[in-house]
Amino acid sequence: MTQIAAERYTGTSIKRSEDPRILTGRGCYIADVKLPGMLHAAFVRSPLAHARVLAVDASAARALPGVVAVFTGADLEAVTIPGPDPLLALMGGGGPMPEYTLLGTDKVRFVGDPVAVVVAESRYLAEDGCELVEVDYEDLPPVVSAAFALDAGSPPVFANLGDNIIGPPKRSEFGDVAGTFAGADRVAEFHIDVHRHQNVPMEGRGCVASHDADSGIMTVYAATQSVHVTRMGVAMRLGMEPDKVRVLAGDIGGSFGLKIGASREELAVAAASRSLGRPVKWIEDRSENLTASGQAREESFDVRAAVGNDGDLLGLDVQMVIDTGAYPVMGTMVPAIMEMMLPGPYKLAALGFESTAVITNKASYVAYRGPWASETFVRERVLDLLAKDLGLDPLEIRLRNVAPRTNPPFSMITGRPLVGVTSKESLERVAQIVDIPAFRCRQAEERARGRYLGIGLATFIEAAPGPRSPEPPSGPMGMEHMRLRLAEDGIVTLFTGQMPHGQSHQTTLAQIAADEFGVPFEQVRVVIGDSDVVPFGLTGGSRSATMTGGVALHGARQLRAKVLDFAAVLIEASSRDLEITDGQVLVRGDPDSAIRVGEVARQAASGRFDADVDTSLEVEASFDGGEGGWSGGSHCAIVEVDAETGIVKVERYVAAEDCGALINPAVVEGQIRGGIAQGIGAVLLERSAYDQDGNFQSATFMDYLLPTACDVPRIELEHLETVPLDADVNFRGVGEGGMIVAPPTLVNAIEDALTPFGVRIYEQHLPPARILELIAEADAG
Amino acid sequence: MVDITVRVNGATHAGSVEARTTLSDFLRDDLDLTGTHVGCEHGVCGACTVIVDGRAVRSCLMLAVQAVGSEVTTVEGLASDGALGALQQAMWDSHSFQCGFCTPGFVMQASALLGGHPEAGEQEIREALSGNICRCTGYQSIIDGVLLAARRSREDRAQQ
Repeated sequence: MTQIAAERYTGTSIKRSEDPRILTGRGCYIADVKLPGMLHAAFVRSPLAHARVLAVDASAARALPGVVAVFTGADLEAVTIPGPDPLLALMGGGGPMPEYTLLGTDKVRFVGDPVAVVVAESRYLAEDGCELVEVDYEDLPPVVSAAFALDAGSPPVFANLGDNIIGPPKRSEFGDVAGTFAGADRVAEFHIDVHRHQNVPMEGRGCVASHDADSGIMTVYAATQSVHVTRMGVAMRLGMEPDKVRVLAGDIGGSFGLKIGASREELAVAAASRSLGRPVKWIEDRSENLTASGQAREESFDVRAAVGNDGDLLGLDVQMVIDTGAYPVMGTMVPAIMEMMLPGPYKLAALGFESTAVITNKASYVAYRGPWASETFVRERVLDLLAKDLGLDPLEIRLRNVAPRTNPPFSMITGRPLVGVTSKESLERVAQIVDIPAFRCRQAEERARGRYLGIGLATFIEAAPGPRSPEPPSGPMGMEHMRLRLAEDGIVTLFTGQMPHGQSHQTTLAQIAADEFGVPFEQVRVVIGDSDVVPFGLTGGSRSATMTGGVALHGARQLRAKVLDFAAVLIEASSRDLEITDGQVLVRGDPDSAIRVGEVARQAASGRFDADVDTSLEVEASFDGGEGGWSGGSHCAIVEVDAETGIVKVERYVAAEDCGALINPAVVEGQIRGGIAQGIGAVLLERSAYDQDGNFQSATFMDYLLPTACDVPRIELEHLETVPLDADVNFRGVGEGGMIVAPPTLVNAIEDALTPFGVRIYEQHLPPARILELIAEADAG
Repeated sequence: MVDITVRVNGATHAGSVEARTTLSDFLRDDLDLTGTHVGCEHGVCGACTVIVDGRAVRSCLMLAVQAVGSEVTTVEGLASDGALGALQQAMWDSHSFQCGFCTPGFVMQASALLGGHPEAGEQEIREALSGNICRCTGYQSIIDGVLLAARRSREDRAQQ
């Protein structure tokens, strides 16, 4: 296991250093930022899904007392550089890009598309101003379904693209697909849909932009998962040198993938500040967040499965269509990840995969906690459907197909080796905890009484960060960097580009560094959220446990060595005989020799040493992930479905997870439970709904329902003994897992409950009305 | 504009607001008490919960002018001299929260609950908090924090 020096804190649920301010209302979230002379922005947004903009008349708005300025799409076009979304520009794989202006000029492309921004003395007055902006629209036929978007006759949402297919069908094959299907005992076909739903952090998007004309520096207070990516986005679109943009972030009220880079609204606000020479603040309200911030997961799959009669899943051939909405952000990037991950931890011998990405008049498809999660939904759904067709138990079919842990490791047909994967163990463990045979007895008894209980299982793996690759990691999700220094007050400071928004990095990274360096937990400070000060980093992809935990460990070790090398000069001892314990440097075995690390730092700063003595007690560390590894687990849910009302209650939920070594068990468990809650929401409650004209119908919390304390049961969590792969860093990411595997777990349970009705489920959104429809359809059919 | 005087956290504050200014905006913008958060502005998420005359109230659904003559307590008013109150301490010990945005609303709602129902059990707590939405935790750790606070308070009373 991890060879941390003292291991006093790592592995313990030490209380969070974030909490004193969080619990007393002293956190600083973006809406709390106030600058002298600050103005407030509100956006004029399209009420139509697809329309030409013929004219924008802001004269009445500009005349309203308290309104300082109105910037139309044309006004901003003159002072910004057109281009794609910054995240897409950073990570997108090329291909034709749609051309559009920052705010709508000639066209609007979804309900909520921003057309103008009103800047006023208060948000109230800015919204008054918005109501006075008159926009002349010419309705165009909306493209609301992927099916219509695929039709060459659908009106192109972007003139320069010619049609609405932004990712033309791209097919890959792994293994002998044709041969596997030809030789299979049977080939089953399914069509599976995943519905549109969204991140919904409790805090929406927002920023305060402040441009200083004298220095030419644009300061942006942001709510973001990376201050550096936001900085790059602002610089790119405002035509500024990146060095002239400083991004600051404090506490962030959740994100789940939403707040990355710079949105069109944030860029407009920055441009407004530059034009006005005053700070401008924009805080999106909930209807903006639901309507316009972005949505996720709208995908459909045509699946063919090559199966052996004994239950061997030999091959899958999948055709996928992803609805990227109107302004592409993440949608075109997701299929490639899905393709790679589809085999999961199973011995799949062949995979055919084809994806098409379409543009529609809906909000952008954005990253949402495990953006590729539908690969697990499709695979785990298909396994259950096949099990039913073959008369096999869902646990049995999974244990039959899961890859054994071999040496050398079994590789997914798509390439990556399943090093250290414990899927078999987690399936067995979760089955053991739940006692499935006993449940089956109870299920039968309850069915006789007209009560419908069901049990569902699913397993997943996540590349968090994934096993070591032949090439070193590159790009924004590449090497992880950290600066560490020992200050004269004895505080070890870690400067990281991570931008926690619930992940508790200020606690977990301090745990690791305190142990490795040799100071009390309270003597480590984690600095985040200032692009002038922290190295490049991005919180996302469940990478921080390994990448940032690892760079903190190695960096603290390097800093410790440096401090001891200097202390050796100071004390006139050999650094080999020195250690740092409890914040003191001492000669091993001689407590009287102890000097506080702060004093050592003060001596280093005194200037009295020769130039050949290295007195800079600071290191810049980088980490490539070490041996890395997979995270994963198996979940099991027991549900009851009321066949009269369609209401589903989750009676019991058990998860056996392997996310490597735990830095802080309470933090890990919180992440898993939160992800599972989002899975419950996705299946039972949440849907980002559009009508056939593209009108958005889920713009309030009365329509977009979120799970409450009465909807999420106590979740039983079991942590598996992990397979250590690295000499030092065996922490693995856990942020996304719960949300990846909970939806198929629940849908499998619901289908199991409805077995007496002959219901088969090929979708993910199962509110009461849908459950009743499925029962009725199965009855009729 | 309307001139109002409101008592918040034991202090009297004078302000001048538009009639339509919500209590949440008045607290945050005029009084710089930004601990009260705004999550939806339509009374569903509970992040804006404050205590008005002893009852938990959604400050986004109340106008500032309606608070004239009332005693308002926000999350800033719970702990004295920067020390955590018993409920806050129990929530800290229980790792109740992650991003913290929903936290002030939960703290105020739970505070009101325990004030009136110190013997509240898990089901009662879940129902009382079902009007506060958290997107990060799945609620279990929050419930545990409230249960811990209730248990400690029971033990304190037993010792007296």
